[in-house]
Amino acid sequence: MNSNPDSFHPTGDFFELLKRTGYHLNASSSNLEVGDKFSVLQGTTVLAFHYKDGVMVAGDRRATAGNAIMYERCDKVIPIDEYSLMAIAGVPATAFEMARILSHNFEYYRRSQMQSMSAEGKIRALSKLLKENVGMALQGVGAVSPIFATYDLKKQKPFIYFYDMLGAEFQMHTHCATGSGSPMIRGILEHEDLWGAKPLVELSENDAAKLAVRLLQTAAQFDSATGQARPEDKLFPVISTITAKGYHFFPDEDMGELFKKSMDRG
Amino acid sequence: MFEEPFRWMEAISTRHSYVQEKLAKGQPVIGVPYKEGALLLGFSPQPGKVFEVYDRIAMGGLGHPADVEKLRMTLLDMAHLEGFNRSAQDVTIARLLQFGIAPSLKQNFEEVMRAPYLAQLLLAELDPEGRPGFYRLNYDGYFEKLKNGGAIAGSEKVRKWIDKKVEETPFATFPLDKALKEVCKLWEEGKQQAVPKDEKNEVDDDTSITLKDAFEKWNLEAAVLCSKASKKSIYRTLDAKEIETLKSAVTKK
Repeated sequence: MNSNPDSFHPTGDFFELLKRTGYHLNASSSNLEVGDKFSVLQGTTVLAFHYKDGVMVAGDRRATAGNAIMYERCDKVIPIDEYSLMAIAGVPATAFEMARILSHNFEYYRRSQMQSMSAEGKIRALSKLLKENVGMALQGVGAVSPIFATYDLKKQKPFIYFYDMLGAEFQMHTHCATGSGSPMIRGILEHEDLWGAKPLVELSENDAAKLAVRLLQTAAQFDSATGQARPEDKLFPVISTITAKGYHFFPDEDMGELFKKSMDRG
Repeated sequence: MFEEPFRWMEAISTRHSYVQEKLAKGQPVIGVPYKEGALLLGFSPQPGKVFEVYDRIAMGGLGHPADVEKLRMTLLDMAHLEGFNRSAQDVTIARLLQFGIAPSLKQNFEEVMRAPYLAQLLLAELDPEGRPGFYRLNYDGYFEKLKNGGAIAGSEKVRKWIDKKVEETPFATFPLDKALKEVCKLWEEGKQQAVPKDEKNEVDDDTSITLKDAFEKWNLEAAVLCSKASKKSIYRTLDAKEIETLKSAVTKK
């Protein structure tokens, strides 16, 4: 710990502070050979879409290594601060580390500068981390392709951003999905938005949550790296929202009922 | 000049006097437990009296704003690095002080050719079980744990009086609104302790200021660490409405 009050740097940037202590996000990658970026495994389905009250963010729970299922209770939707969630697809070690850095970054900024970071600043912070990770991504050992959702307190509206693994950020006005199971459901999302009973942005929270569960079940039908819900083991996908009140996760005790309703036709 | 021990001791003594004189007009910060956590409160001419340090840690400062700021940033850096490298549970005031800032402050104070820090801090935390803890850090690196809360104040007399009253009052059983009113009362009565009895009518500076004047002249800053908070960060500053309610309650005659 640096305990010398004379050496403070009031930038509010936690990543800079980390670097001053010798930390590097991808310190050990310099001697690795460049791999085939198309062989990167992304065993996941995470999705986000705008609904009536804000943004719905959801993800399955399976973590895989090659063909092996390693873990069935992985939380891929991670709270970053009170108003932001990150849904991760890609290499979990890098993704979780990025989430931890972001979380500390936003809190450190808020506390040190005595104001919340702007939504734009938050969005860019993740892009910056992904750019720092380009080497690992190209080597095929640390690629991450996340979705970032946040509520902008100044503009009083929520935003969804999708990132490629090199750090490019794309604002999504309706919906997006990423991970190996995402191709199976992107078309459904688009279809629902254009020709469903209501556009996604007009769905109630309950209907949006039901749709998210159905989409993840569909992805799991066609993608072996996306985990199915197992109600008998109380294993359900993660369903969360971001509204003007901040983020909210559907509690485990409500998920059984939600899943049951979601599986009914209608 | 400092080869002789006496000279060095004299220099340190002069340094103490200098810092104490500079801090003498510092407005008190009072920290007490209440039913749901810990409360910190103080008045200040400029914004920046009570701050959030980490998820479960808050601080109040007194002294030169630039020095309070340096100490605050150092605590923030240490807390966030420790929380990132290990866990939020490893970030405690005791560790931040004992292994971090206190030795540096002492060293700074005893290097007599360097400018001393003109600041005192009062820190509060809630442990994972929701029990509050309070610490006072002096400009020379000395720190102490205050079992039931306490104060920092420019005047030693005021500080001791408030400490004693805090110890005697069952703050831990009070709801927030009652704790706030009582702390304001202690703040006002405490400040009167610095005024010599025969000079009460002649003193017209900040020493004898009433709560009513303080509310008009300065900013009241108050924050709580609330064990009932559902978020990771349990620090909350009192909003304008709560401060207005408090002002009406404590200034009405």
